Amino acid sequence: MSAQSTIEAVGLTRRFGEFTAVDGVTFGVERGEIFGYLGANGAGKSTTIRMLIGLLAPTSGSATVAGHDVASDPEAVKRSIGYMSQRFSLYLDLPVFENLRFFGGAYGLWGRELESRIGEVLELTGLSEHRRALTGTLPGGIRQRLALGSAVLHRPSIVFLDEPTAGVDPVARRSFWRLIRDLSTGGTTVFVTTHYLDEAEYCRRIGLMVDGRLVALDTPSALKRAWVPDRVLVVRGRGLARAAEALRRRPGVHAVEPFGAGLHVRADPALWNRAAVQEALAAAGAESPTVDETEPSLEDVFLAVVGGSAAAGASGAGAAP
Amino acid sequence: MSPSLPKRFAVRVGAMAWKEVLHIRRDPRTIVLALVMPVVLLLIFGYGVSFDLDRIPLAVSDLDRSEASRRLSLAFTTSGEFAPAGGEAADGADTAFRRRRARAILVVPRGYAKDLARGEAGRAELLLDGADPVTANQILTKADAIALAETQRMASEAGAAFAPPLEVKVFTRYNPEARSAVFMVPGLAAYLMAIAAVLLTALTIAGEWERGSMEQLFASPVGRLEIVLGKLVPYLGLGLVQLLLVVVVGATAFDVPIRGNPLLVLLAGFLFLLGMLGQGLFISVVAKNQLVATQAGALSSLLPSLLLSGMLVPLDNMPLPLRLLSTVVPARYLVDALRQILLKGNGLGGIGPDLVAMAAFAAAIVGLATARFRRRIA
Repeated sequence: MSAQSTIEAVGLTRRFGEFTAVDGVTFGVERGEIFGYLGANGAGKSTTIRMLIGLLAPTSGSATVAGHDVASDPEAVKRSIGYMSQRFSLYLDLPVFENLRFFGGAYGLWGRELESRIGEVLELTGLSEHRRALTGTLPGGIRQRLALGSAVLHRPSIVFLDEPTAGVDPVARRSFWRLIRDLSTGGTTVFVTTHYLDEAEYCRRIGLMVDGRLVALDTPSALKRAWVPDRVLVVRGRGLARAAEALRRRPGVHAVEPFGAGLHVRADPALWNRAAVQEALAAAGAESPTVDETEPSLEDVFLAVVGGSAAAGASGAGAAP
Repeated sequence: MSPSLPKRFAVRVGAMAWKEVLHIRRDPRTIVLALVMPVVLLLIFGYGVSFDLDRIPLAVSDLDRSEASRRLSLAFTTSGEFAPAGGEAADGADTAFRRRRARAILVVPRGYAKDLARGEAGRAELLLDGADPVTANQILTKADAIALAETQRMASEAGAAFAPPLEVKVFTRYNPEARSAVFMVPGLAAYLMAIAAVLLTALTIAGEWERGSMEQLFASPVGRLEIVLGKLVPYLGLGLVQLLLVVVVGATAFDVPIRGNPLLVLLAGFLFLLGMLGQGLFISVVAKNQLVATQAGALSSLLPSLLLSGMLVPLDNMPLPLRLLSTVVPARYLVDALRQILLKGNGLGGIGPDLVAMAAFAAAIVGLATARFRRRIA
């Protein structure tokens, strides 16, 4: 890929016995970019990350991270990156600053430099007031910020975040993503896996994994254009349930799904527009429906990519809250 | 920005060790296991599991009711080794033993005084509760000694010098009163240090696997050796404190002598601990979860150090296979070294082979554990 790439994977593959967890994945991540890696549970996201950070040797293919080959020089990779694993791995019985001190020390920081970095990271993550708190007593969202803080103590040029917001409430997730954006603005490359599709909107580019293969890779809006060519309309009004049934049978209408109190309609843009949908619904018995055009969501993209019958199974894991 | 390699190594080991110290401080279980349990066990073993018997309850069934028979029973009951447990009919022996009223019954048959007066041998019977052979043996030895003393007394009263055909005088060196505490403290030190060291290290590393923090460590530049050293150093310190505690409690509560150089005690303890910590490390590297690690740790430290160390059972009496097995039990060498240093005042010359054996075990097991310890997952 471009000379700017700081992560480059070419045909990266990992097998566990007969099972191929990651199958010939090729991509590049640019400096300072937030790169989202999406997929249902078991799609191969964590396995990809573990290969990229030097924890797991690739079966075949290659990858360089920050200029170091992950297979031949994993130690150099480890020194130049930060990693926040999927399982919460701070020490709950230690105070916040002792966790930071430990992870700083693990990366060779010490003395005055360590203390000043701890101060900066506490500031960055907004944890200064919790400095002395026992980590186990803090709510999940704050712990995640601390985990991210301990992953960036040594100023890595790239951070890998494996499902950093799993099980965290929406408000805390938003503040966590603000932190990720701050890091990216400061020039840090962020490689993040998630199965929250709303979060993926924050990423500059998204890679979509299905069954170990990278099936789509682009910016969120390009993905939407490419995978969901339909016109997406939001309908509000009364008596929609019966009208929806009628609309669903019309040619060029691809999907009519309940969405809150209203409907989500996906239809062929050549045949359908706002007025046409409004007219059709009114004719089918809906009372003064209002129709607005909207951008397809990443969930639409995800369902389109996973496709057909697989969509039913994957939508549970990939559903936006 | 990039400090020298040895410095980075030291920083990372230091960070690991300091974190471990914090865990230990936070966890009262560790402190209890490492420092309170040894003292409690030492006191229990020292006082409770004493092989020295005194005030053994002795019932007397005096059928003769003569001056001579009374003197014989007095000789037994005033010795301090037996305590009078009341009169008892000889045919009530079973009941007395079953109800544990008496461990021995002295039966003086009718005619005892008459026999003596005729110049014949006075006969008395001692019925023993043989359920516990150790106790029965001791009672027998003590009864023999009392009978001998009584014979001598009667002989001298009669004006005749009593001269047994052969007299063996026994002088026991190093533990003349045969107090079991003196014998036990070195064994206990090995036993307690083995359990605490193996269990605590096994738990701490298995804990990192369970918590998922091991993956985080592996993703950092911290190396295997650095993890291992960082884990070992704090527990090594804790183990040495434990050893000092056992020796000091032994010396103050049970008068266990410290005849040799206390620094040698520490040196022997250090080498022993290295081996035990390595064993714990090895278990946790293989087991990866705390439950299995606890069981394997307890079994592999407790049984060998209790049974194959020479602490309770002399190794020389064991069948050959067990004796051979005991040569790879480091506790055996520590018990020997401690007995030599504490009781005999031996120096490096005496304990040299023990130190070499413990060092060899430590090097082998730490090497094996580090080699088995893979930093790549799967």
